[in-house]
Amino acid sequence: MSNRLSYLIHRLAQIPFVLFVVTITIFGLIHVTPGDPIQIMLGMETSPDAVAKLRQQYHLDKSLPKQYFIWITNTLQGDLGESIRLNQPVTRMIADRFPISLKLAASALAFALLICIPTGIISAIRRNSSTDYFLSGIAIFGLSIPNFALALLLIFVFSIKLEWFPITGIGSMATKMEGSLWQTFGPYILPAIALGAQQTAILQRLLRSSMIDVLSQDYIRTARSKGVPGWAILAIHALKNALIPVVTMVAIQFGYLIGITITIEYIFAIPGMGLTLLNAVVNRDFPVIQGFTLAIAIFFIFANIIADILYTLLDPRIRY
Amino acid sequence: MVDSKSRMTSFGKLTTETIKFRERSTLVIAGREFTRNRAATAGLVAMTILVVLSLLAPVISPYVPITINLREKLKPPSWEHYLGTDYFGRDVFSRLLYGGRISLTVGLLVVTFAVLIGVPIGLTAGFFGGRVDNILMRLMDAFLSFPPLLLAVAIVGILGPDIQNVMLALGIVRVPVFARIVRGSTLSVREEVYIKAAKSIGVHPLRIAISHILRNIVSSIVVQITVNFAAAIIAEASLSFLGLGSQPPDPSWGRDLNEARRYIQDAPWLLFGPVVTIMIAVLSVNYIGDGLRDALDPRSWRTWQNKKSTGLQEQIS
Repeated sequence: MSNRLSYLIHRLAQIPFVLFVVTITIFGLIHVTPGDPIQIMLGMETSPDAVAKLRQQYHLDKSLPKQYFIWITNTLQGDLGESIRLNQPVTRMIADRFPISLKLAASALAFALLICIPTGIISAIRRNSSTDYFLSGIAIFGLSIPNFALALLLIFVFSIKLEWFPITGIGSMATKMEGSLWQTFGPYILPAIALGAQQTAILQRLLRSSMIDVLSQDYIRTARSKGVPGWAILAIHALKNALIPVVTMVAIQFGYLIGITITIEYIFAIPGMGLTLLNAVVNRDFPVIQGFTLAIAIFFIFANIIADILYTLLDPRIRY
Repeated sequence: MVDSKSRMTSFGKLTTETIKFRERSTLVIAGREFTRNRAATAGLVAMTILVVLSLLAPVISPYVPITINLREKLKPPSWEHYLGTDYFGRDVFSRLLYGGRISLTVGLLVVTFAVLIGVPIGLTAGFFGGRVDNILMRLMDAFLSFPPLLLAVAIVGILGPDIQNVMLALGIVRVPVFARIVRGSTLSVREEVYIKAAKSIGVHPLRIAISHILRNIVSSIVVQITVNFAAAIIAEASLSFLGLGSQPPDPSWGRDLNEARRYIQDAPWLLFGPVVTIMIAVLSVNYIGDGLRDALDPRSWRTWQNKKSTGLQEQIS
């Protein structure tokens, strides 16, 4: 236990350093790249007065280390500046938009788990059968189709041909946070499938191989020879252990998904982190780009650390 | 790879049988293993066709991809327009061919950039170790702390939407992937006896790094190249789809798909071409990568049928 504890402490102690390098990277990207951000922000209208005023407002007249220090101090106090186009505090915008993206990513993972657990088990039991090959064929399809292309195909089939879902308005419906379960999650079905297809394939492959591994263990043979029924062996003895790598992977993929919701949010007009960032990029709204990138990076880092911790906690055999 | 003459002199007493076996170069064996893998061969054929079609685009494309012909707009597939026409009456098939030139070039340049920067970083970190290793790899870790698509969007956002900036952004994103793989392989090779032997007779470190270490980890780099090539194609299509990549009226798989999205009700056939082409490109590169992984790994020779490769999973990175 002490070994594991010291590993966890070691892992947590790395966070400040990683965050420092991440902030330096974001800061460097914005401030060291060629071109004056103020000129780009103002575009055509460039009266010297306006430029000087903005320079002062964004502390661009100070030295680079000082600018970094000011930015970090403000960030630690929860002040990420104001959006240039929307005149809103960036922190407020993140608080508004992050839950939407989180819900989208969570729906995608829920869909992935719903599909991958039964199919992963079937693939493992009937390994190298035609069922297994059929499922892995679909998994490879899921891995090879970019999520935005899949989203368009889904819209074509389910919204236009079958008319199960409205073509537009999914985004505005999705922002409603109350109502029945269907009202809350219904609009998320197509986006969740499009976003979660790759994760479904990854998790299905992972569960298949870990299930095959577990089923060949001695304790499964013991259980079988004791006369434990087949379903109980699968559900209680095998699945519990086979899910350990899957749980870790789910945590990793959760962080990863927040970074790729952008195309899906764009297609379905879901006003989450990705769509807001894209609009900021188009409008060259630097405070928003800076703040949103930092927020997503932090989430990504913590998701990876949680995955690490889960991995050590769930599997008692792992020692560091 | 194997110089049979020098082997004959150094192993002068070997029987003819063994020499005959040794004379087969590793490349020949790897090539034979690769062609035995049907999926990999199919991938190679499909990729070759895509490359040839893109290269010959000016010769075979029936129309100029950017010529607007409003009288022919949104026509379904026919013998005049194999895949129909878009809103501006441009031939979709011709645009796919020219779009392939952009997508494949981006993939190639992105991977080249990532290899040229990432491999030396990983090699230096793994070979020298200690503080150099620590500094370089923590820097790489920081880049890996961003979701790759997000970092690319942020870089393009700061530099401005443009296909060159997309290439630079995707290249930067891929550098740490190569650095990490090369460092890991270098660490495992560094402790081999032949490296110690080379060191003990005073071979220059640079020469050890290049002709002893790099040569032995080249197969893992080759596999990474294919995986990252596929990822770069998807990423370029995503960025172009979002309007951050190549700008109108240039043809591009991703952006043409975005235009198809607007007419999904009236002209759903516009989806078909770009979606299928992107999938063929990604699938074939991934199968080639899987085949190379097995073909270049001597441990899997002759037994590759028994191995179910999981290589496709690594593409998600």
